Amino acid sequence: MKRQSWTLWLFLIGLLALTASGPVAAKDLQIGALYPRSGSLALLGEESWRGAEIARLEINKKGGIGGDSVVFVNADGHDVAAAHSEAERLIEQSKLGLILGSYASSRSMAATEVAARKNAVYFELGAIANSVTERGYQTVYRTCATAFNFSKSQSKFIAEWLAPQLKKKPSEVKVSIAHEDSDYGTSVADSFKNAAKEFGIQVVSVEPYAANTSDLSPVIFRLRKTAPDVIIAVSYAQDAILLSRQAAEFKLGIPLFGTGGGHSLKSFQEALGDKVEGVLNVDFTQYEVNSAFTPGLKEFVALYKATFKEDPKSGHSLANYMGTKVLFDILAQTKGSVEPNAFRKAALSMNLPEGTTSTGWGVKFGENGQNLRADPLIMQWRGGKLVTVWPKAAALMDAVLPK
Amino acid sequence: MELMIQVLVSGLLIGGVYALISVGLNLIFGVVRIINFAHGEVLMLAMYATFWLNKVYGMDPYLSALLVLPALFFFGVLLQRVVVQPIQEASANMQIFATVALSLILQNIALIFWKGDFRTIQTSYAMSTLEVMNIFVSVPRLVAFLVALASILLLYNFLKHTFVGKALRAIVEDNTVARLMGIRVERLYLLAFGLGAAFTALGGILLIPFSAVYPTVGVPFTLIAFIVVVLGGLGSMSGTFLGGLFIGVVETFGGTYVSPALKEAIYFGIFILVLLVRPQGLFGKGKGTEEIGLK
Repeated sequence: MKRQSWTLWLFLIGLLALTASGPVAAKDLQIGALYPRSGSLALLGEESWRGAEIARLEINKKGGIGGDSVVFVNADGHDVAAAHSEAERLIEQSKLGLILGSYASSRSMAATEVAARKNAVYFELGAIANSVTERGYQTVYRTCATAFNFSKSQSKFIAEWLAPQLKKKPSEVKVSIAHEDSDYGTSVADSFKNAAKEFGIQVVSVEPYAANTSDLSPVIFRLRKTAPDVIIAVSYAQDAILLSRQAAEFKLGIPLFGTGGGHSLKSFQEALGDKVEGVLNVDFTQYEVNSAFTPGLKEFVALYKATFKEDPKSGHSLANYMGTKVLFDILAQTKGSVEPNAFRKAALSMNLPEGTTSTGWGVKFGENGQNLRADPLIMQWRGGKLVTVWPKAAALMDAVLPK
Repeated sequence: MELMIQVLVSGLLIGGVYALISVGLNLIFGVVRIINFAHGEVLMLAMYATFWLNKVYGMDPYLSALLVLPALFFFGVLLQRVVVQPIQEASANMQIFATVALSLILQNIALIFWKGDFRTIQTSYAMSTLEVMNIFVSVPRLVAFLVALASILLLYNFLKHTFVGKALRAIVEDNTVARLMGIRVERLYLLAFGLGAAFTALGGILLIPFSAVYPTVGVPFTLIAFIVVVLGGLGSMSGTFLGGLFIGVVETFGGTYVSPALKEAIYFGIFILVLLVRPQGLFGKGKGTEEIGLK
């Protein structure tokens, strides 16, 4: 009996020592990192997190921020409810005033709402839904492009490059949209319709479909009937593959223009083989890009390979890396403070022109917290690689009209 | 007109695969009377097995059936023995909890081992098509349809004419009487689950030349299979076959002429209609089978 209570006491003292030594040992700067890292969005959620993680490892190697090393408190927003509750947990229980994330727009919408309500700063690095920075929240910032920016880049490319190639005026170019019918596809399709209007491009049909289907032949049949000049496709991974495969099977012969997502993935190229040649795409900066436009990109790729022993899967990691570095620049100005007013002042004072970061994006936050200088680039699958073709400053080669 | 025929052909081809997967579910659902929400995950495992045999050993996906089908048969037997048998007499709710849990476990195991990547096999015939009078037919989809048709015919004859097949049908019609007649029900449960898993696995093998595999690939198929089984009738293989084709055709027609976004809505609408009007399914085996295991 006596011995038992002794061991119990020892155990309790040990436990106390452990918990006490944890926070005291390091004067850490803690940041919540909220990404979907299990479930259906795990692939790119994880890829996004890796970008932020590399920025963290890099700054800690350089001595951290004002001498404090940066620590991530990782959270898994595998679905919308989890993103909501994890954001609450990070702020309430872990007492964090700053969260970064979150790759998926639906997760971001839930988590940013929590952060704004509890007056914590939320730094969005990858979600593109327009509404993330359109709700008037003073503590929500976003470094990456919005869905509308994607559509604008596409429309501009169609008006300025594709139309002359087809020997048509922009107003004569007929565009169809094929999109998966969740929130992501629907909102991107809507924003394309708006952007197209600005450039006078006519959208002749819109074909929504479910992303988890195993047969997209109905979409192909409808597109064949409409016969547009180009198809804007908004797809996740598997439906992007299926759409292109079935377009080839049914010899559709209309150029496909992807909108990030599935059309940027290596697996898309692997699945389609030489049928991928010429597919156009708009996305965050990827790796086949003019290095003069993206200083620091090569160093990032080297760090990625050294840390994770493989090549980056997509530009998501790069976008998150760039955004996290911007965050660290802001924190350097505030000397590590995440007090919302000081943070806001520092954030709004950031002013980098385009072509000065690893993604080629500039940094200038608008009043709504949105980075105004993060235009997505136009790429084309050429010889098995997703090569940047437009705008000129970032391009490695000229676009060709897909067959 | 040309478009109509094209749509019909496409619908029938995908319907064949639905039928095959649903036949697997019907064996399990009809004989063992368990609502197996992990059905799609058997499909997923078969697809991964086929994928890896191709990736590592360069084995042709169709050839890999020789290994994958027996493996998944035993996996099915194992599931029945370890997971289902202990809860065989429990309430339907309990069984649903167990199989939903199983489904989530298998999905997440796949996620841990094989990541969330969308993986596809490259074969020389993946995108080859036949063209007959301006109607395009994808070769792997045609193969899928024909193999599905042949294997369902085989199963049909097995159930109709062999002793074991008759015993299985007896269990579908009246479990208690079958037991009283000396049929070793528990042992046949193992066979039914194994066969059901093998048929589903065959569906996976036929899908993979034109479809990507990822941890949640099975989820929509589970739902489709339930609809087809209810539509065709519990225990009826011919009903399931026709049900599968019907869903495939309805899906493709609805998708082409109404909207691709509505195709799921259309067949779920049919599902509800069938449950209301003819709960034992179009080819159901009469009394008792309309309960679809929910007792």
